[in-house]
Amino acid sequence: MKWERAAWRVIQVLTVLGGGVALARLDWVRVVPSAQYLATSLGRSWVLAMLAMLVGGAAAVPLALLRTYGGRGPRFLAAGVIELVRATPELMVIFWVYFTLPLLTGSGVSAWNAALAALAAIAAASLAEIIRGGLFSVPHGQHEAARALGLRPVAIFLRVVLPQALRNMLPALIAQLVALFKTTSLVSAIGVADFFRAVSVTNNAVYAPGALYTVLGAGYFVSCWAITQVVRRFDNRYQPAD
Amino acid sequence: MDWSVLWQYRAELAEGLGITLAISAAAILGATVLGVGIGCLAASPSYLLQRLTGSYTALLRNLPLLVKLFFLYFVVNLGPFTAAFAALVLHQSAPIADVTASGIRSVAAGQFDAGLALGLTRLRIFWLVILPQTFRVILPPMTTQYVAIVKNSAVVALIGVTDLTFQTQEINVQTFRGFEAATAATLLYALATALVIWTMARLQRGRVR
Repeated sequence: MKWERAAWRVIQVLTVLGGGVALARLDWVRVVPSAQYLATSLGRSWVLAMLAMLVGGAAAVPLALLRTYGGRGPRFLAAGVIELVRATPELMVIFWVYFTLPLLTGSGVSAWNAALAALAAIAAASLAEIIRGGLFSVPHGQHEAARALGLRPVAIFLRVVLPQALRNMLPALIAQLVALFKTTSLVSAIGVADFFRAVSVTNNAVYAPGALYTVLGAGYFVSCWAITQVVRRFDNRYQPAD
Repeated sequence: MDWSVLWQYRAELAEGLGITLAISAAAILGATVLGVGIGCLAASPSYLLQRLTGSYTALLRNLPLLVKLFFLYFVVNLGPFTAAFAALVLHQSAPIADVTASGIRSVAAGQFDAGLALGLTRLRIFWLVILPQTFRVILPPMTTQYVAIVKNSAVVALIGVTDLTFQTQEINVQTFRGFEAATAATLLYALATALVIWTMARLQRGRVR
């Protein structure tokens, strides 16, 4: 309805104006000197999320393949690993890795490496399920048609099943990437100087909670929003296979 | 490894599990009420309502739970339990609203016209025809959301709520038995999520009303 569009415009304008006034009244003078420190730490959160996604993705492929195509034993093992990580709270996984890795390696593990390993494990477990879902979403007739054409099993997987599966996985991949970026805030609990910790540290030093929490929220919101927008572009280009 | 430490700290672990279960249960109820309410508004044909609910879910979806929790605790100055409850409810209400809205859209199409043809008012159609069917459709995705609440509740340890994760850390600090404590806590969390999944499966079979 027309009045509803007008009302939405009014709400938008009021939000922008009110938000602008509220922002201007915050204590920015104390925050400005820390701007570079905060920006660097936001970059560190991004690096952490991307590295975890890459390492986790690399680990997820064999996990998903074992759970989908493996024999009884490997399938059970892969399912066990995936479900164990997925049933554990993310914060717990991070503590787990931080406590346990030193026992395995016999020496100290830096907080950064523990954080990366934990986030990679979390990403691997979810990505394995996403990949498995993607593989299942390709109709079985595609396997049979490819075999009837005389393709070898590896070629069937790489050239017929995988490309179609990848398309269907894209929306779930976006959600996972955003979730992983939000999860990086938890590594502040073991002392990694990520964006969340940097903002807390700055607040302890200069005390400007209003301005700093605005920066904190904006940093995460814009990052997650950007991830969604970028991957959605892929989604529009590659329509899901029916 | 020394597993006796778990027996030694059994009272603390039981207390932590109790607090985790209590906060999770409260947050599940709160998030369901708020999320389903907003989902119902989001499914309405009104442009304004769609925009408002869309902004709400977009804002809450793109902020980490930890940011909400610390904001409510340190800036709004809520008590630790209130802040934990409110943060968990706000955080999960957004995906629950999305699940509800898509559930309503999936059943609504012909049902609304059928209800009108029978002479029911719009409100009665929504309440008597569409919502009951929606609940059946959204039970499986809601299970995922409830499990997420139980898992996310671990974060409240960071503002000093003495939940399972907090107790695990305490054991680690006092005895350096972090591995044993984390293993026990992981199993207890798995138990808690299994409880949620089992309850939802029973609901789905219609044995519990």
